[in-house]
Amino acid sequence: MDESEDVPKDFIKLKSEKLSVDEVSELVISPYCGAVSLFIGTTRNNFQGKKVIHLEYEAYTSMAETEIKKICRDVRQKWPSVKHIAVHHRLGVVPITEASVIIAVSSPHRAESLEAVMYCINTLKASVPIWKKEIYEDEYSWKENKECFWANSEK
Amino acid sequence: QVSVLYFARSAELAGLRCETLSVPRQITSLQLWEEIVRLHPRLAVIRDQVVFAVRQEYVLLGDQLLVLQPGDEVAIIPPISGG
Repeated sequence: MDESEDVPKDFIKLKSEKLSVDEVSELVISPYCGAVSLFIGTTRNNFQGKKVIHLEYEAYTSMAETEIKKICRDVRQKWPSVKHIAVHHRLGVVPITEASVIIAVSSPHRAESLEAVMYCINTLKASVPIWKKEIYEDEYSWKENKECFWANSEK
Repeated sequence: QVSVLYFARSAELAGLRCETLSVPRQITSLQLWEEIVRLHPRLAVIRDQVVFAVRQEYVLLGDQLLVLQPGDEVAIIPPISGG
C-alpha cells in the first residue's frame, strides 16, 4: 500500500447506521488537495404544515450503487482534477435533524470540488433508485423528487 | 422466467417485494406492465408514474422491445426521492 500515490477513489456506501461527517470527510482528504467540499442532507421536521415524525428510506441497493458510480464517473469527466469522491446514504429510519446523505469531494482548488458536490446531489436526486417515506402523526407519504426524470410533477 | 422486484409504493400496492414471473423472451415494456397489473390489479393506479429497471437500466413503459434472459431482474421503479 503506497499512500503517496493517492489514486483517485470513489467511496460509496448505503447503510442503516447513523452517518458521520468526520468519517466521510476523512475519506476524501488528500495531501494533494487544498479543498474538500461537503454536502449534508438532513431531515426537516415539517412538510406543508404537517409535523414529520421521521423519514424512512429504502433502495434498490445494487442499482443505486451502480448509478452512484456512474455519477462519480461523470464527475471525473467534467472535473478531471477531482481527487476523491465519497457518497454515503442512510437507509431505514432517519430521525429528524439527522443526516440522510453526505457527499464529500476533494480537489486541488476549491472551484471543482464545490461544483462537483452540487452536481452529485442534483444528479442523485434525479437518477438513483432510493425512496423516502415521510411519516407524519397520523399518515405517511412517499415523496417524489421534482428532479425525477420520468415523473409528472402535477401536484 | 424473470425476477420482478417491487419498491416503495409499488411494493405496498402489490403486497410483496419480489416474485418470479414467466414471460415471453421478447415483450414490449408496456406488455410486461400489463402482465404484472393482471397479477396485481392495484398497481394500475401508478401506471403513469413508474418506469422499469431491466438488468438495472431504466426503461420507460411503451413500445420498447425487451429481450429477456432467464433470471433477469426487472424492477418496478416509482418516482424516486433519494438525497
